[in-house]
Amino acid sequence: MSEPVRIQTGDFSVEEEVKALHSGNGRIGGIVTFLGTARDLSRGRNVSRIEFEEYAGMAVKAMNVLRGKAMNQFDIIDMRIVHRIGTIQAGEQIVLIIAGAVHRGAAFDACEWCIDALKKTVPIWKKEVTPSGETWVEDHP
Amino acid sequence: MIRVLFFARLADLAKVREAKFDCPDGGIRMDELLRQVVARFPSLEASLARPKLMFLAINQEQADLDAQVKDGDEMAIMPPFSGG
Repeated sequence: MSEPVRIQTGDFSVEEEVKALHSGNGRIGGIVTFLGTARDLSRGRNVSRIEFEEYAGMAVKAMNVLRGKAMNQFDIIDMRIVHRIGTIQAGEQIVLIIAGAVHRGAAFDACEWCIDALKKTVPIWKKEVTPSGETWVEDHP
Repeated sequence: MIRVLFFARLADLAKVREAKFDCPDGGIRMDELLRQVVARFPSLEASLARPKLMFLAINQEQADLDAQVKDGDEMAIMPPFSGG
């Protein structure tokens, strides 16, 4: 089975990741997924693609810390976090967070907390490529 | 020797992704090392004028301006993150 926390250049399958989280966890009664995708419009400009860069090693370590905190702070049974880096075309998948819990409330809470924390604490950066040039993004909409 | 890594906008400004700096005996404080970085890469001056807006790390652990960087360490200067 694939690692529950990964950074990769290639695409991921939401269905396969949900299956991986669910298999062997018969107590799970609710699974919440957050799927981040590449918008084709940002700050009023057309975006043709996004380039993601990571601090190799530290980024996946920070994502593992998030999973650990989420498992401690929320009443969830398991969590998976997958983030892509490299070139991502508009419309493609970027990041997936899946939380599985006995009941839905903890899964919703953990999922929302995790994506908010990921944006603030994981050393990954995005550069939006538009017809008028390239811009590094440094805020958290 | 200390390896200093630049990321994202800072790597574009510096035009390199990493640089090596001599380490004095006993190490060097992060803020002093940043002054040496700016001296060698003046294009980073505006970005590093307010280093508290940057994320700093030593050997992949977040570190403060008063942290001591030692010989053989890997120091990273990172702009605010934007993953997700």
